[in-house]
This record gives sequence, C-alpha cells and structure tokens, in this order.
Amino acid sequence: MATDFWASSHYKRWLVDRATLKQARADDLQYVDDPDYLDFLAIYFANVISKLGKKLQLRQRAIATATVFFRRFYLKNSYCETDPFIVISACCYVAAKAEESPIHIKNIVAESRSLFSQENYGIKHFPSDHTKLAEMEFYLVDDLECDLTVFHPYRTLLSLCRKEAADTASLFGSEEGEADEAGVGISGDDGPRYWGTGEGQLELSEGALQTVWFIINDTYRSDLCLLHPPHIIAIAALYLTFILHQPTRDTILPQIAAQNHPNHQPETPQESTPQPRRSSRQANHHHTAVEPPKKPQDPITFLAELNVSLPLVATVAQEIISLYTLWDRYKEDAGPDAPRSSKDAANSPFSGSTGGGGAGSGSVRGSVSPAKRSVTGSSRSASNAGTPMDVGEEPVEGWNEEEYVTPVMLSALLLRMRESRLADMSHPASGRPVAVNKMLERTQAAG
Amino acid sequence: MLGDWSTDILQHDPMRIYRAKRDAARRTVTSKYNIIGFISSGTYGRVYKAQSLDDEGKIHAIKKFKPDKEGDVVTYTGISQSAIREIALNREIDHENIVALKEVILEDKSIYMVFEYAEHDFLQVIHHHSQTLRSPISTAFLKSLIYQLFNGLVYLHSCHILHRDLKPANILITSSGVVKIGDLGLARLIYEPLQPLFAGDKVVVTIWYRAPELLMGAKHYNKAIDCWAVGCVMAELASLRPIFKGEEAKLDSKKNVPFQRDQLLKIFEVLGTPDEKDWPGVVDMPEYQNMKRLDPFSNRLSDWCQSRIRTPSGYELLRELFAYDPDNRLTAKDALQHKWFYEDPKPTWNAFQSVPAHQIPPHRRITQDEAPSMMPQPAQNTSHQASFASLSGGGPYGQATGGNGTHAPSRKKARMH
Ligand SMILES: Nc1ncnc2c1ncn2[C@@H]1O[C@H](COP(=O)(O)OP(=O)(O)OP(=O)(O)O)[C@@H](O)[C@H]1O
Repeated sequence: MATDFWASSHYKRWLVDRATLKQARADDLQYVDDPDYLDFLAIYFANVISKLGKKLQLRQRAIATATVFFRRFYLKNSYCETDPFIVISACCYVAAKAEESPIHIKNIVAESRSLFSQENYGIKHFPSDHTKLAEMEFYLVDDLECDLTVFHPYRTLLSLCRKEAADTASLFGSEEGEADEAGVGISGDDGPRYWGTGEGQLELSEGALQTVWFIINDTYRSDLCLLHPPHIIAIAALYLTFILHQPTRDTILPQIAAQNHPNHQPETPQESTPQPRRSSRQANHHHTAVEPPKKPQDPITFLAELNVSLPLVATVAQEIISLYTLWDRYKEDAGPDAPRSSKDAANSPFSGSTGGGGAGSGSVRGSVSPAKRSVTGSSRSASNAGTPMDVGEEPVEGWNEEEYVTPVMLSALLLRMRESRLADMSHPASGRPVAVNKMLERTQAAG
Repeated sequence: MLGDWSTDILQHDPMRIYRAKRDAARRTVTSKYNIIGFISSGTYGRVYKAQSLDDEGKIHAIKKFKPDKEGDVVTYTGISQSAIREIALNREIDHENIVALKEVILEDKSIYMVFEYAEHDFLQVIHHHSQTLRSPISTAFLKSLIYQLFNGLVYLHSCHILHRDLKPANILITSSGVVKIGDLGLARLIYEPLQPLFAGDKVVVTIWYRAPELLMGAKHYNKAIDCWAVGCVMAELASLRPIFKGEEAKLDSKKNVPFQRDQLLKIFEVLGTPDEKDWPGVVDMPEYQNMKRLDPFSNRLSDWCQSRIRTPSGYELLRELFAYDPDNRLTAKDALQHKWFYEDPKPTWNAFQSVPAHQIPPHRRITQDEAPSMMPQPAQNTSHQASFASLSGGGPYGQATGGNGTHAPSRKKARMH
C-alpha cells in the first residue's frame, strides 16, 4: 500500500471531479458575492494550517496531510455551518498522529488559541478545554471515513529527481529515515506504473529541486489535491519549474545545453519571454558544437517519456498558474504600506534565505506568478507575464491595488457567512427547507 | 439581528449543528450487530464476538478501544496513536492472510473496529496440543501455518509495513484453515518515516519474540525483526513452548530501556554467542560491552531441531531465520521459496486439511457476562433521543458517563483492564 497508490484509499475514494467540488461549496456560495472568495478562503485556510503546523513544528508532509484532511472534510461540509478553526486544529492533531509524529493535545490547544486569537483571525472563543478538540477529532476521523493515509507529490519528486551532488542535503536528506527504506532512490516498487521508460532519475540542481518542492507546497492552497493524483501534481510542478520559472531556467539551461542531444534543445536562457516549449528548436545552432554526453538529460524529453498523460499535466500546470494569479490578489499582511513582495521574497528559494532550516515549507508564490508585480513598479513585461500555457489573460486588469484580499477581510467574511447561515436557519421566512428547521428545533430544545 | 441562540452557538459551541447532523445520520453498533459475547481483552481494548444483522448474519470480531480516562472520569484525551495506526493501516490493506477490517464505527466516545472473525489462533493451537492432545503439531499442519504466515508477511513487507508484534496470540486461523495476521496496533509504515522508528516507540515486540538487534539496543531496525519473530513462532509451534523464554528487565523509573540480559542468554544458549564473523555490526551495538560480559555459548540449534523439527530443511529454514545479522536474515519473500515448503508434506491453503477432525482445536471461548457492558446505552433507545441528548450540556464529552445505573457494575469492571 505504501507504494501502491492505485490500491490506496486516496486513489479509490478521495479523488473527485469539479462538479463534486462545486456541489460541496454550493451552500457557501449562497453567502458570498463573488465565487472567487471561496477560492481565497481556500488559500486563507491553507495558510492558517501551515502557520499552526509550523508553530507545532510539524514537518511539511504532516502539514500537507493536515491540509488534505481539511479539504476532504469540506467535501462533506460547509464553511458556513461549521467552525473551520477547530477543524483546522483537529486536522493538525490527527495528521501529526497519522504521520507518526504525534503532538500532545494540550500543545495543540495552546498553540491554536494563541494563533487564532491574533487580530486577523479574531477568534476569541477557541475552547481551552481539550475535550472539545478531542471531540472534533472524533467526528473528523469519522468524516474522513478513517482513511488517514495520504499520498503526496513530494514522494514522486524524490523518486523522479535526484540532486546533482551525491550527498544528501537539508531539504531532501531530512526526509530520509531508516536508511534501507526511504532514501532518495526509491524508484523501486511504484516506478513502472508511471515512469515507464526506465530513464532513471533526472538530475536537478538544489535550487531547481527546491523550486519544485515549493510549487508543490503552494498547490495545497487550492483543491488540486482533491482533483488530481499526487504524481500528476508533482510532474506539473516539475514542468512549471522547467519552463516557467526564470531563475530556475537560468540555472538549469546551461547545464542542459551542455548535455543536450542537438535535437532536443530547449529554449535558451536568453529568452526572457516565454515561448511555446518546443521553441527550443529555434535555438539549435547555438550549441551544435557540443558533444552529446553519454546520458543526455533533457528535462523536457524526460517529462515526455514519463508514462503519464501530458495534456493532463499541462492542465494541472495551468491550474497551478491560475492559483498563483488568484493568490496575487491576496495579501497576508494587513498593513497597507508594507511592500507587498518582501514577504514573498523571504519565502522564495532565490532570496538566499531558504527559511525554516530546510524544512521545505517555502513557497515560490510571487516568483512564479505571471501576474507578478515588482516592488519597484517596473512594467509587467519584465517579469514572467504570460505563460506558454495561455493563462491569466491580464489577471490584474481592473484590480485596484487597494483591493487586496486580506486575512482580516476573510475572517470577517467567514463570520458573516456563518451568521447569515444561522439566521437563515432560524427564520423559516427565508425559505430554508423545513427539514433543517425541524432539526434546528430539536437542537434548540436540546441546547 | 442574531438571536441569543445563534450567538450562543457561534461563540460557545460552533460545531453544534454539525454534530447534530452527524449524530442523526450515524448508525450505532447495536443497530448493525448483535453482540454474541465477550472474547478477550488486550492491551488496547476489548474484543467481542458479534453477528451482523444485515450482512447474511456473518460473524465478526468487534474490537472496542478503551476510552481514555482522566482520573475516574471517562473523557477524551484524543484517539490513541495505536488506534490511529491500526485504523489507518487496516483501511489501506487487503490480503487473504491479514485479518480484514470490515468497518470502523465511531460512537459515543468509543471506537469500534469490526473485523472478520477468526475462530482460532496460534496460541490456542499450541495450548490445545500441549494441554489436551499432548502430542506435537504435525509437520503438514505446521508447514501450512508457517507458509501462510509468511505469505501474509510478504504482503505487509511489500507494503512497507512492519508488524512489530508477531506472536502466537496475534496470528489467527479461520475455521476453514486460513491464517490471518492480526493486531496491527504496533505496526508501522516504514516508508519515508518523518522520524526514525526508534524515536516513536522505545520498546517493540513482546520480549520472547524480540530480535537480537533490538535487544542489543539498535537504533535502526527493519523488516528482519518480523522474520526473527516468525522463527520464534515456528519453533514454538514445533516444540509447544516458547524457544527463548526470557525474563523481561523492566524499564527503570526514567523509562530507560535496560539491558535484556536474561532474554539474550536464552537466545545464546541455543544459538551461541554472536561474534563479529556472524554479525559484523554487533560490535557497534550499544549493548555490546554488556553482552561481552556474559558467559560464552556455542550454537546447538541443530541439536534443538533434531527431535522437534525433524527434517534438515526445516532446520535450515529456522537457522536462516535466526541469523544474527539482520542483513543476512532470511526475508519473508525468500522464505516462501524455501526448500522446506516444497518437500512433502506440502503446505495447504486449508491448514486443517491434514488434521483429523478430533484434533482440530475447539471454538474460541466466549463469555456472556461481559457482553451487555459493551454498549453504554441499549440500542432500543430511539436514535433521535440518543443523538440529540448529546446536544445538551457540554455535548457528549462534557458529561460524566455512567450516570445511568443499569449497567454500572459490569461497565466498571469492563474498564478495569
Ligand atoms: N478477528 C478476530 N477474530 C476472533 N478473535 C479475535 C480477532 N481479533 C482479535 N481477537 C481476539 O482478541 C484478542 C485481542 O485482540 P488484539 O490482539 O487485536 O488486541 P490487543 O488489545 O492489541 O491485544 P494485545 O495485548 O495482544 O496486543 C486476540 O488475541 C484474539 O484472541
């Protein structure tokens, strides 16, 4: 099971289609003006989980598992009828156990209280009584149908790619445990199913690997983990790293150029405007003198030879870009004068600070986004505006700088949603179904 | 604009509506199963025999995890790591030789895992032969049991799961002679662990079945520990008593794991004292200095097997399972290919095939007196009452349970273990 995704509960029960997702948000949709807000909430909640997870010193994989639990829970429930904050705490609590790094419930309660009481969340009533959280855990596990083993794209990444230098470094070495069981070279059991050609692992620079890793982190800000198998997400992240992200492209391309078979030249580093990915051929003449090495490793060829649907990978990549486009309108810090990219830069693998001591929790948001605005206000054409995949047509158009969506706004929105829902439920005139009112009467009588 | 009721919900019990919905939809254990009797209580819970009310009246074993306690009040301190493991792993696996989990029911503060029922277990077979029949287990029967056990273990290991608690009591047999590995409460995924296995559980495997590397304080271990345990189980089936029956040295007050002197001696008496030639890594083991102070022994496994295993290939198999060096120990996969299994008598999928009817061990004993104590409330309660009662007070967890006197005495007893 650990190696066989195709036999897993994740594959069998927890991948859904867009229609199911839409249905799951139908109640919430009634209480927001713009459906985009639901996607902002998805970012917002993932950020809260990530923050709580870091306070609890959870590893990135456990944070990812908590996030998946949260998404699965809200396949069956509505934000407006629940308290997402206690759900978040319970998700972290269960994920820590499911990932074999348990945390005492009292710590979770304490850290949750301190985090959620911060101004931007405004939760004054997080229960101090840990039995409340334990109770939520119980219901959560039930709603998760006891499926607590989650697969993540990180593993595919580690199976597909290898860092150039043989030594294991912070980011990847830290994921290894028992020497003979984990390791980076785990292409063994689950390989052939989707990386057919036996080409072996792709060598990437530390920076490139980190970028993929961070893009994967970022995907948890959306519902992608419910829609696509993790290996597809990993490959899409890899794909984005190759063709979209400028600094990575700069780092990996000279190496590719040096190694490449003449027929598989990708675009040169000089091309700052993204091209269709096979534009590579135009640049062939630059490198014709290069001797083909014994084992050519053209990343694009490598991807093409994987036994996965490339159109699907492209779709997922496009969805990731859409996420970045949306995320660009979201601002974590409420302070209106804060330079908006500084925070992102701290998270970026290219800022020199890898943050978290290699815990691998960073993001590339702001580095990858096609809608990236630089602090200095230079024109967008200088950054990676537009992508080879034709997404985000002028995403910032008409979006006023003052109109960033912030946690404060979303916290208020969430509260309004929940209040309106309750109001609707307690006033038959609003046309709520009778069944709900019946149930409500009973809860009222009992409560 | 919001009524008091709404404000109260938002501020004091925001999940009230959610719980009400869930509770109303939930089917209780007793609405699905008729509890036939109490089977046993283990470390983590109590096991009941139950008959399904819908599913063709199939028999199941229902394991109820002990609810946590704070002082005398049954309360929630969260689902135990062991329960999470057992649930998480069982939901993913599916194999003929592993006890199948049918469903998990979370009800009124307790977790119930519903397993397929297995009429016998290895320990019971051993007792039956040593106490009642007073004769050894036949080679055909023994071989079938061990073969199927390995077959299940190969599956677990291929899933990167270590069982970590293989012993006769945890290996079950159905009435049709199919071996079922049970009790994954200590089992663990070893695929890309976030922290070393050692960091999680200081002590794994019941002492008599514990591999030498664990006894020697190894910080790292792997699948080989399960194979050692199978060796011990095989020897025990063959001789009807534990082969290495040592005394466990208990954890000291600081929870340090002590040197397991007696257990190691019991092993050395049969297998000889390990040296660097057998096991190059032994010199690096934390307990190496302690080990060197023990009297030296030489290997007499061959003698031990003479009267008990009887064939050279059987001895070979045991010898390879008892390799000191974990890296040299036979793997479960290789064990399945072992010569012993290809010699007559060959293993059979019905382990009882060659066993005369009068030698088949008796049915699992169940007792009645404990059965009613399983459920906090009789199932006849209307479900609405049961569900919505939980909305009063501080919800289901805020109230002390056991206020209802009907079953109080037996329930108390039930929780004494
Ligand atoms: N599927 C089953 N069918 C029949 N009996 C079972 C089944 N599962 C467990 N039992 C019985 O219940 C006992 C305890 O079960 P189990 O080992 O799962 O619990 P535990 O609390 O983990 O015990 P332990 O202390 O052995 O670790 C078993 O030894 C066996 O006698």
